[in-house]
Amino acid sequence: MDKLASLLHTSPAIAWMVAKLVIVFAGVFSLAAVWTWVERRGSAMIQDRIGPNRAALFGKIKIIGLAQPLADGIKFFFKEDLVPHDANKGLFWLAPFLALVPALMGFAVIPFGRSFVSGGQEYHLALLDPGNGMGLLYPLAIGGMAVYGVLVAAWSSNNKWSILGGMRSSAAMVSYEIGMSLAVVALFMRAGGYDPSEIITAQGGTLWKVLPNWNIFHQPLGFIVFFTCMFAETNRLPFDFAEGESEIVAGFNTEYGSMKFSLLALSEYCHLMTASALMATLYFGGWQVPFVQDPSVMLSVLSFLVKMLFFAWVFVWIRWTLPRFRYDQLMHLGWKAMLPMSMVNLVFHAWRMSQGH
Amino acid sequence: MGVVVKKVELSWLDRTYVWPVMKGMGITFQHFLKQLFTPTAKRYTIQYPDMKKEMPEGYRGLHELKRFEDGAIKCVACFMCQEACPARCISIEAEEFSDLNITQGFEEKRPAKFSIDMLRCIYCGMCEEACPKDAIWLRKDYEVAAYDRLSLLYGKWDLMNTYTATDGKERIAQDPTPSVPRRTIAL
Ligand code: SF4
Ligand code: SF4
Repeated sequence: MDKLASLLHTSPAIAWMVAKLVIVFAGVFSLAAVWTWVERRGSAMIQDRIGPNRAALFGKIKIIGLAQPLADGIKFFFKEDLVPHDANKGLFWLAPFLALVPALMGFAVIPFGRSFVSGGQEYHLALLDPGNGMGLLYPLAIGGMAVYGVLVAAWSSNNKWSILGGMRSSAAMVSYEIGMSLAVVALFMRAGGYDPSEIITAQGGTLWKVLPNWNIFHQPLGFIVFFTCMFAETNRLPFDFAEGESEIVAGFNTEYGSMKFSLLALSEYCHLMTASALMATLYFGGWQVPFVQDPSVMLSVLSFLVKMLFFAWVFVWIRWTLPRFRYDQLMHLGWKAMLPMSMVNLVFHAWRMSQGH
Repeated sequence: MGVVVKKVELSWLDRTYVWPVMKGMGITFQHFLKQLFTPTAKRYTIQYPDMKKEMPEGYRGLHELKRFEDGAIKCVACFMCQEACPARCISIEAEEFSDLNITQGFEEKRPAKFSIDMLRCIYCGMCEEACPKDAIWLRKDYEVAAYDRLSLLYGKWDLMNTYTATDGKERIAQDPTPSVPRRTIAL
């Protein structure tokens, strides 16, 4: 790192920052692209079909259809880029970025491996170093911004289906956010801080010698609430009201085509990645490896990746298992089930801590 | 009359919603694994250009005009099929010939031209039913496609050779005997 930095005439800290940026954003982006393929293949397998297995590099190398996202990308670039006549042009252009940026930004605080020291300098495997004062409040806040992408896309395209979709997603947003935040607050109490590194450190070691000391085993109720809210937040089935294909055409992205549509679709997958990373960090010990006291850096990154990809797969899995809720049902669930549940969770753990556990 | 809808009583476990979701996920995952470990040949999907469906007995596909072993056409140009065809897509032109050395010789009549417009044909099989000589069959080939309309107007030699590759027969493009009008024989 030092050599590279001197080669580029920068300080090691800046070189490291740039490297991290490239790794994280390129990684999340390409994982999201690959996940479009995983989703299609996975759904096909679940429904006893085969799925996209034909796209081949240079017409020869098929590798079980992995070239599909690439082919889709090229196709999207060459499609005609239509803007509806009565759409609000500026906002219409802005919306895909408004959707994509928060989806990616949430990832910034999540540590994807343990910090290490090299050459007297400490390197953190997260875009924002621990102790930045924002901690896990930041992804929650950014997650709240995500609805703007959907809403702006819906509003600016001046289409009734879109507006219905956007309205639904903003209505849904109000009902799950509080429950989710309360569930996370209970975690902050347990860790004694809201920095992701503190939360991860609190999850090291084992519980009763047989289980890893992960938050899920301490707060299963909170996990269920948080998990459900994550589905609502990423706008995916069973809560994909913003884009109910069967009832409101394609919801907020009805009017979108070519690369703008692809950005909207990709932002959903980026969001999915960020949500899975959050879940892995908050409830499954982040980069902690079960039963290993001090994992090496590589092992910790691998452990984090495995957890994250597992949850990303669960997102796909659930999507092809459950039918869509009505959106009043989500509000019912949010206000009458998840909010009380997370409150009970919070009060119960507060009580337990006051008893000195 | 109103219908009494029987309400399903859910157990408390089902009403948590978490357990039924996990059951559902179990089912989908079973399907996932089953499909994942089924070899391609045994999956429900037939990957068309690579694999082809074996058509059932009695399938009505592309026609074949049958021939005798010596290559003579079985059809005697009786026009029965042309009359029977509901789509009016067969057109025949007959010719006379005579050669008692070959199987077909005593029939003294055969099609000089025999064409079926495959774009109009509805594959109903009426021609096959009507034929007194068993000379036209609808068989199992279903890949009837071409780039222009004219190439789907199958002529006599096209129809006689439609299944040569499948049956391992040789292609023919000529009748074994030339056409001989009756009056030349009489002379
Ligand atoms: S299959 Fe039916 S439509 Fe086709 S040529 Fe025979 S009789 Fe005519
Ligand atoms: S194919 Fe059969 S029915 Fe048709 S003209 Fe020939 S012999 Fe007659």
